[in-house]
Amino acid sequence: MARVEAIQYGDRKVYSVSSFNHGVAEWLQRLPTVWVEGEVTELRRNPRWQSVFFTLKEPNDGACLGVTIGRARFDALRLDLTDGERVHVFGRPELFEARGDFRLRALSLERFGLGDHLAALERLKKKLAAEGLFERKRPLPFLPRRIGLVTGNDAAAKQDLVATITARFPPARILVAETYVQGPLAANSMIEALREVSSAPEVDVIVLSRGGGSFEDLLPFSDERLVRAISACDVPVVSAVGHEQDTPLCDLVADARASTPTAAARLVVPDARALLEQLDRTRAGLARGAQAVLERRRGRLLQAHERLRRAPALAVERKRARLEHAAGRLRALSPRATLERGYAIVRAREEIVRSATAVVSGDALEVQVADGRFGARVE
Amino acid sequence: MSAEPTFEDAQRELEQIVERLERGEAGLDEAIGLWERGEELYTLCVGKLDAAQGKIEELARRVDAAKP
Repeated sequence: MARVEAIQYGDRKVYSVSSFNHGVAEWLQRLPTVWVEGEVTELRRNPRWQSVFFTLKEPNDGACLGVTIGRARFDALRLDLTDGERVHVFGRPELFEARGDFRLRALSLERFGLGDHLAALERLKKKLAAEGLFERKRPLPFLPRRIGLVTGNDAAAKQDLVATITARFPPARILVAETYVQGPLAANSMIEALREVSSAPEVDVIVLSRGGGSFEDLLPFSDERLVRAISACDVPVVSAVGHEQDTPLCDLVADARASTPTAAARLVVPDARALLEQLDRTRAGLARGAQAVLERRRGRLLQAHERLRRAPALAVERKRARLEHAAGRLRALSPRATLERGYAIVRAREEIVRSATAVVSGDALEVQVADGRFGARVE
Repeated sequence: MSAEPTFEDAQRELEQIVERLERGEAGLDEAIGLWERGEELYTLCVGKLDAAQGKIEELARRVDAAKP
């Protein structure tokens, strides 16, 4: 091991590379042993090597930390780790003096457990809720021009949703983006697919779909990056992730959620048959309404015509009644009634004879009775 | 009477005559004259009404005949 010795050049103290590295390495050893959390990437294990190497990556900002762990120790843990898995690493910082490489020397390694996931999820949920990410709910289009479907690459889940949507609305156009929906690569893959369908022309709504799964299976649907991608998506997103208890965060951030493919279909497309029936009913109502208006008009016209037909006769009848009334009164008052009882009016020289002394023998008289007049002569 | 009065004029005159007779102001000679005039007016009005009715019935027959 090199010693930390400086060479003097006048009043300048200069270290050799190995001295410098050794000095830093020694100083680093004073740091405490800690737990570090991150995702495993670039795992390199070779039976001929003494150590196993991997890079621990921070999912949110991509910060990296090299990790080395003794191969025997690593194998004894029987973790069977793959890239993308989240782990807790217990170790201390170390400088590989020969290369000046800084890394974490791992003493132990634990896969991120269920309890850890739950706690982390709860924290993330609180944080995102505080940011207001779960509050915005955009209305879904009544009739989307195209539907973006982000789904697993297993045929069953995809077919299920496509079949349900087209059964409900046969002319529906669906753009399918298949992605990983499980495992360490799922979140990134889904974000990529989401971006792809949301930027495709005419896509008015996106369904993010996955059949049921265990809590661990559904973890990618609670990935912070995916949740933020959904929130930032220009197109409304429906979360159609089958789950039993723990709601994945994508359900909370999505504009709508559906627990089954049928429910998802109901959200994104209208029922074509019901729509047509309603249209038919409306059209029938329209025809009935027009017919009713027509009939009311016709009825009024007929009524007016009927009155027109009757009016003149009615007017004549009224006039006749009024005339007969006047005539009746005339006759009641006139002397005719008296004449009809047998009296007569006698006139001599155009004057009514009121006294016997008014005439002398031989005078011409005019006698008026009820139905006419006749002449007479005084004897 | 030179020109024949219209139905309305005749009717009005008839009613005036009736009113006058009803008030009992007319002497016997006048009453008889009024009565005779009234009867004349009545005959005139009835004639006019009968003519009008005939015309209406004729028209109604023609309209009915024109119907399909």
